[in-house]
Amino acid sequence: MKADEATLSRLMIKAQAGDRKSYAVLLSECNKWLTRYFSGRIAPGLVDDLVQEVLMAVHRKRASYDPARPFLPWLAAIARYRWIDYLRSHYRDHTEELFDDSAIEKSGDEAVMARISLERLFGSLSPAQVVAIERVKIEGQSIRDVASATGQSESAVKVHIHRGLKKLSTLVEKAD
Amino acid sequence: MRSNEHLISELAGELRPVAPMTMSRGLAVVIAAAGLSIAAVAGIAGVWDGPAAGTATIFYYLANGLLAMSGFACATDVVRMANPGVGNRYDGAYWSLAMLAIFPVVAVGTLFARGLGVQAMNDSHGLECTLSATAFASITASGLVFWLRRGAPANPARAGLFAGLAAGALGSAAYGLSCPIDTLGHLAIWHVLPVLLAGVIGRIVIPRLLVW
Repeated sequence: MKADEATLSRLMIKAQAGDRKSYAVLLSECNKWLTRYFSGRIAPGLVDDLVQEVLMAVHRKRASYDPARPFLPWLAAIARYRWIDYLRSHYRDHTEELFDDSAIEKSGDEAVMARISLERLFGSLSPAQVVAIERVKIEGQSIRDVASATGQSESAVKVHIHRGLKKLSTLVEKAD
Repeated sequence: MRSNEHLISELAGELRPVAPMTMSRGLAVVIAAAGLSIAAVAGIAGVWDGPAAGTATIFYYLANGLLAMSGFACATDVVRMANPGVGNRYDGAYWSLAMLAIFPVVAVGTLFARGLGVQAMNDSHGLECTLSATAFASITASGLVFWLRRGAPANPARAGLFAGLAAGALGSAAYGLSCPIDTLGHLAIWHVLPVLLAGVIGRIVIPRLLVW
């Protein structure tokens, strides 16, 4: 079963009222959704760790969901916020191949997914910032390797990462 | 590391009901904080009877009305920032502050063009008004920080800045009830300056309280 926006929203409203069964179903659906959402945007070995962080944030901040508004944009904002925080604080210690994007299960709410996807955020960065963040923060390459491969100085790569992540943190709620 | 299923089971097991952070509850916090600011101004500085007696200048009503409305519009967006969501926009805060900015810009320009600018800047009560209004702004700022900390602001830096600006505008409007100096220069400079000052303080101090 894959829950749609309306179902998730109803489950969340019940969860806010203290319904544990609905909450468990909701978190399971969030777990699946987040795993798809982060695929290709974090090293495969770290997806579960990041998903758990988001689930805990959802739990702590569940009061911040306004029942009058849609659920998925709320979840996506929390996911983006934690993802950027994660990129800031975690370096991978070994390189792994990213999942192919085609492995991402297509959602029924394509329009919603397009608006809240992580790709939208990268579209707001300069190409140099995207390359630096993807290679160092996501793929786990060293700054020296990326500098050498892209013909830039190590300082320039560090600046691209710093500025790129700073910009990303201001774009968490960006949809267009 | 525990499995995701195990975590879900733990989180579901410790679930307690929560009151959703709706817009109306957030606005109630803002109104209560603004009301408390007015009560504090009345209790500490007293209320000037000029407006009730009809002796206040038109600038008095314009300045304090603009400050109150801009502050409330900005605070409304700050309340919304506690409920994150991809696609959220906060244009109201920007536009309300842009409208407020017209007042001091036009007033100062006009005063200097007429050779009265220096006199307005050398206002012996100006600094006292600015600092007092900023102090009263802390009441509304506390209410907004309380609300934001319960929520999940996606951009703490922006939330801190706008919380400061909103609190500054509402604090200055509240303090305006006690200030009998109703000249254009005094109101446009020294009663608008707290908005800027509180915005800077909010941008520096509040974000570190909002990290989640």
